[in-house]
Amino acid sequence: MTEQSTDPIVIVGSGHAGVAVAAGLRTGGWDGRIVLIDSQHGMPYERPPLSKELLTPGAGEKTALLRKEDYYQARGIERITGHPVESIDPETREVVLADGSRLPYHRLVLATGSRARELPVPGADLDGVLALRTYQDGLAIQRALVPGAKVVVIGAGFIGMEVAAAAVKNGCSVTVLEFQDRVMKRVTSAPVSAFFEGLHRARGVHLEFGAAVTELQGDGRVERVLTSDGRHFEADVVVAGIGVLPNQELAEAAGVACQDGVLVDEFCRTNVPGIYAAGDVTRFTSPFSGASQRLESIQNANAQAEALVSDILGSQPRTPEVPWFWTVQHGVRLQTAGVMHPDDEVIVRGEPATGKFSVVYLREGRLASVDTVGGLTDFRPAKKLIPAGLLLDPSLVEDPAVKLEDAVTGEDPRSAILETAAALV
Amino acid sequence: MSTNTLTVVDREGQQHAVAWEPEQSLMEALRDNDLPVLASCGGTASCATCHVFLDGDIVTSLGERSEDEAELLVDAEGFSEDCSRLSCQVTFEDRLNGMTVTLAPEE
Ligand SMILES: Cc1cc2nc3c(=O)[nH]c(=O)nc-3n(C[C@H](O)[C@H](O)[C@H](O)COP(=O)(O)OP(=O)(O)OC[C@H]3O[C@@H](n4cnc5c(N)ncnc54)[C@H](O)[C@@H]3O)c2cc1C
Ligand code: FES
Repeated sequence: MTEQSTDPIVIVGSGHAGVAVAAGLRTGGWDGRIVLIDSQHGMPYERPPLSKELLTPGAGEKTALLRKEDYYQARGIERITGHPVESIDPETREVVLADGSRLPYHRLVLATGSRARELPVPGADLDGVLALRTYQDGLAIQRALVPGAKVVVIGAGFIGMEVAAAAVKNGCSVTVLEFQDRVMKRVTSAPVSAFFEGLHRARGVHLEFGAAVTELQGDGRVERVLTSDGRHFEADVVVAGIGVLPNQELAEAAGVACQDGVLVDEFCRTNVPGIYAAGDVTRFTSPFSGASQRLESIQNANAQAEALVSDILGSQPRTPEVPWFWTVQHGVRLQTAGVMHPDDEVIVRGEPATGKFSVVYLREGRLASVDTVGGLTDFRPAKKLIPAGLLLDPSLVEDPAVKLEDAVTGEDPRSAILETAAALV
Repeated sequence: MSTNTLTVVDREGQQHAVAWEPEQSLMEALRDNDLPVLASCGGTASCATCHVFLDGDIVTSLGERSEDEAELLVDAEGFSEDCSRLSCQVTFEDRLNGMTVTLAPEE
């Protein structure tokens, strides 16, 4: 333990990152006060089930909690709910709540997450136009997915495609409008998109590409969606899944450096002493690729929470884990390790038609990322091979009978240089 | 239904008595009692950070692992065909009261 203080560690936001920080501080031995603040009411909950389990037919209103109800009190983690933090005063080291009360902090953690980007078109405020970020949003969509409803999903990213899958399962007629030319284009390659497009179509989802939405129309309630090519689509419900924006305004107003995300280092420190940030709200440099990135994933929220806790407690940080992500659509799992880049060499392992295959992304011959579809065999080896920076033989990678680890041709020359350098010291 | 009590052996060989409540998966009981299971996927059989060893007879009685669970476990450190399970895939049952759960090594 480095230091204790009578002022609490204040955590703004009780999502995946915020709760992981509070729990990590306590288990790590911090016995000072911890205050976890959230603008939402109720218990902190998991978000992935909101677009998956919660939307399956007959799901009921329950969703998974991040920790059981009595967890927080039992560990002396104070919770303030239903009160957004309105401002931060880094000079006096205080946060100001919506009711004007001020709370001093020893350390401040910004875990404010992100919000759904709003549709920038006329009619976006009509009734029946929904987005999916919170449990309340999930319930609203659940209620709207009644059999026979005409559902238009705008945006073919993860959330849009998960909602589309759930909607057809509920007996809705579903159309997905996407401006790009394939699904999940931002995050995966053409073979994976093609596989999921086939799957969605086979289950009755209509997909429209190159469809830029220009307007939503209706008399108080949405009735149709217009696109730039002059078409229109009838709609009882519209779900927009067009990406997220980091909730960085609070940080920005306090003089914390932001650039499409709160800028943090590998320990999640911001440029303002005593202020940390973690989760969807952050932007940082990838230790694997050197790229500046925002990662909207559970894995990132947890990993950043751990890094930050180790910095506050002065404990040994864990070696960084490669980013990973999963989505489930029509019961088929896509799980990704690493972050692909559109210029990567794309190698398909196995036969997509069987419903079980992987796609390997090589960057300068090194394993950069893997997508596994319908199976996880290549996922865990990839999680180890990516940070090792190992070179793979493309002709071996192509053969699904060869284990991924057996496609390794040699060490990354850079790590050999580093080892030699280390030996000389 | 009443709460179960588990004996959990951590990675240092230390034993803990842990309460397992009916609504929780085994992973949730471990996580919510501060045992060091990362459970980074929240219990969706995606990460294998909730890997535990159970008594062989219990594993048999729990039935087949799902394909995802099997594929994640096969490469996990210390994997044992007879004893390994992802704790997030083990649901509460009265008959499991008193069982011993050993945390698998961390990767
Ligand atoms: C429907 C859905 C499905 C998803 N599925 C997956 C998936 O399958 N796999 C995956 O890896 N990721 C998934 N994600 C992404 C994942 O949920 C996020 O990356 C993760 O929640 C980020 O955690 P966070 O703590 O940064 O933000 P959040 O979990 O969003 O928490 C932020 C919290 O801060 C609060 N807050 C904001 N501003 C203030 C303020 N000023 N004062 C007080 N409180 C404030 C918010 O109310 C919120 O509760 C999904 C997300 C959604 C919405
Ligand atoms: S918690 Fe991830 S596999 Fe069990």
